[in-house]
Amino acid sequence: MNATRSVLFEPVARGLFFVLHVFAVYLLLRGHDLPGGGFIGGLVSAISWVMLGLALGWSEVGRVLRVDPARLAAMGLTVAGVTGAAPMLWGRAFFEQFFWHGTVPFLGEIHLGTPLAFDAGVFLVVVGITVKMIVVLGRSTSGMRAFPRVEADRYFSILEEPIEGPASTPKEKGGTDAG
Amino acid sequence: MNLVVAPLLMPFLTAVVVLLVGGRTRVGRGLTVASCVGQVLAALALLVRTAGSGIQVVAVGGWPAPHGIVLVSDVLAALMTVLASVTILAGTVYGVLEMPARLSHPLRLPLMQFLAVGIQLSFLTGDLFNLFVAFEILLVSSYALLTLEADDWDVKQAFPYLAMNAVGSTLFFCAAGLTYGLLGTLNFADMAMRSTALVGDPRLMALALLFLAVFGLKAGLFPLYYWLPHSYPTLATPVAGVFAGLLTKVGIYVLIRMCATVLPHELTGLHALIAWASGATMLLGVLGAISRNFIRGILSFHIVSQVAFMTLALGFFTPLSVTAAIFYIAHHILVKASLFLIGGVAALLNRTDDLARMGNLWKAAPWLGVLFLAQAMSLAGLPPLSGFWGKYLIVVEGVARREYVLVAASLVASVLTMFSMLKIWLAAFWNEDPTVVVHTEDPRWRPLAWICAGMVAISLTIGLGAEPLLRLAKQASSMAMDREGYARAVLSTGGKEVQP
Repeated sequence: MNATRSVLFEPVARGLFFVLHVFAVYLLLRGHDLPGGGFIGGLVSAISWVMLGLALGWSEVGRVLRVDPARLAAMGLTVAGVTGAAPMLWGRAFFEQFFWHGTVPFLGEIHLGTPLAFDAGVFLVVVGITVKMIVVLGRSTSGMRAFPRVEADRYFSILEEPIEGPASTPKEKGGTDAG
Repeated sequence: MNLVVAPLLMPFLTAVVVLLVGGRTRVGRGLTVASCVGQVLAALALLVRTAGSGIQVVAVGGWPAPHGIVLVSDVLAALMTVLASVTILAGTVYGVLEMPARLSHPLRLPLMQFLAVGIQLSFLTGDLFNLFVAFEILLVSSYALLTLEADDWDVKQAFPYLAMNAVGSTLFFCAAGLTYGLLGTLNFADMAMRSTALVGDPRLMALALLFLAVFGLKAGLFPLYYWLPHSYPTLATPVAGVFAGLLTKVGIYVLIRMCATVLPHELTGLHALIAWASGATMLLGVLGAISRNFIRGILSFHIVSQVAFMTLALGFFTPLSVTAAIFYIAHHILVKASLFLIGGVAALLNRTDDLARMGNLWKAAPWLGVLFLAQAMSLAGLPPLSGFWGKYLIVVEGVARREYVLVAASLVASVLTMFSMLKIWLAAFWNEDPTVVVHTEDPRWRPLAWICAGMVAISLTIGLGAEPLLRLAKQASSMAMDREGYARAVLSTGGKEVQP
């Protein structure tokens, strides 16, 4: 992977990583009433991760992100699900939303609501799934193991044969069903 | 009121928590099984509540229908959630007992729970687009489960499943768009109210035919069943049991919901088409079953053939025949899932499910043979087992409507079902080939057989005491066919004021 590192692309990707993240959070925050939201914000954030991976190598993404992106997605689903379920604890409707409107020193007038928590969950899901898929594809096309060794335990069973590798002759599976 | 949410919220939370703690850990496995038990209890509570006090509606987020999305539980939907949660419990426990934690696949349990979310949401939703979402959850989980421990051969077999269902989803999407264009709403209750004015309009008929294509594909009806019998045999036993029991039945449930509740009852051409497609399906399916010579292959083709009995009953479209269809669904989910599990135990004992290399099971495990025989005879429709009552009602309705060709087709299909079941029986149980070894020393088979016994006990209860379930099915069908009642219950549910 190091052979393709570029003097120009690398600093640009590093710089844009932060710019794009600021933009992603901006999209997330304005999403309730205006175009934007968790999905779009998550995609923008995922793009910056992919760019980082292209510039620095895919193993760097794992080193910078620290957590398995798929776990990030699972956390996002938990946040979104709990946001939906929580109002029921107080006898309100499933996915009912609540807002708080007020003024905060330095920030001015703000409008906060539970949909923001749901959107943050969506954000995490989108980032997690997109980054995971592209990192797996990127790693396996650049000669690395698709999953780092520590992660294999979460994605494979011991009995599983790797799907890549030379195509084997079709095993005899239950008689003559060759269709 | 919020009880309606429980059958789909519980598997969702279980799935994400198990994803985080790991599907192979003791905590993850224990949590999943406990949650499955909880889901059965929640679904039962929902059924009792719905049967006792009428349609339960939840306006999600407090936004009332027709603008918000509603979750609706009538008796039919609640009955389906009970059946689904029981099947998923059996499949999950079977999977946990079959494989020690070390060897099991870490993603199977969470994916099964996501599959449960999709299935339960399809039953409970009251909104066409929400139904599309439910189908997608269900399908994506099933794609993953199909290829979870797949080798090249399995992937090849799974491909038609993916291709056909992707086409189905696209058509569904188009159908939803056309519905909105034609009726201006996607809420089932509102669709029911507005479509009444369009009776006789060819556009409504075209839309109904598109729905038939979409949901007939999911159910595995005549020209559209190619994906099913080749992909199911590649699945691991517990997953195959859940797929076989539930996935096609989701399609049938939606067909019933569409024909009985949403679309006007005057579309007799649609009903006749369903009936004739069913006649073709049941014969072709059972012929396919006879041509197979391994247990999972035979059983997979039987799904196709049996599905047609339910749609045939729906196609007759009288109150009694819809009752028969609902009764038949309940019977079929339990019997089919348990047959797959029994076949799995037999395959575990013989280390193969190729009928040419099986044998000696009757001598080694007679009770397994009894379980198999009970379910096989029930599938063929012998009295007094559960399959008989559904078929009896269908034949009675068919004769009353003078559909003699279709009645003959269903009887021929039943005899051929019996024939192919006897093929399994003779080759696997009765056959005394001295060269075949039965691995009774494997300690796993007894607990697994007990799970099968539990399923068989439930379906025997249905067969021997058919009256209560029949009453419930009758209540379900009259509630589902009461379009005004459904619409009134859904549209009168209050919520927040919708601001202009």
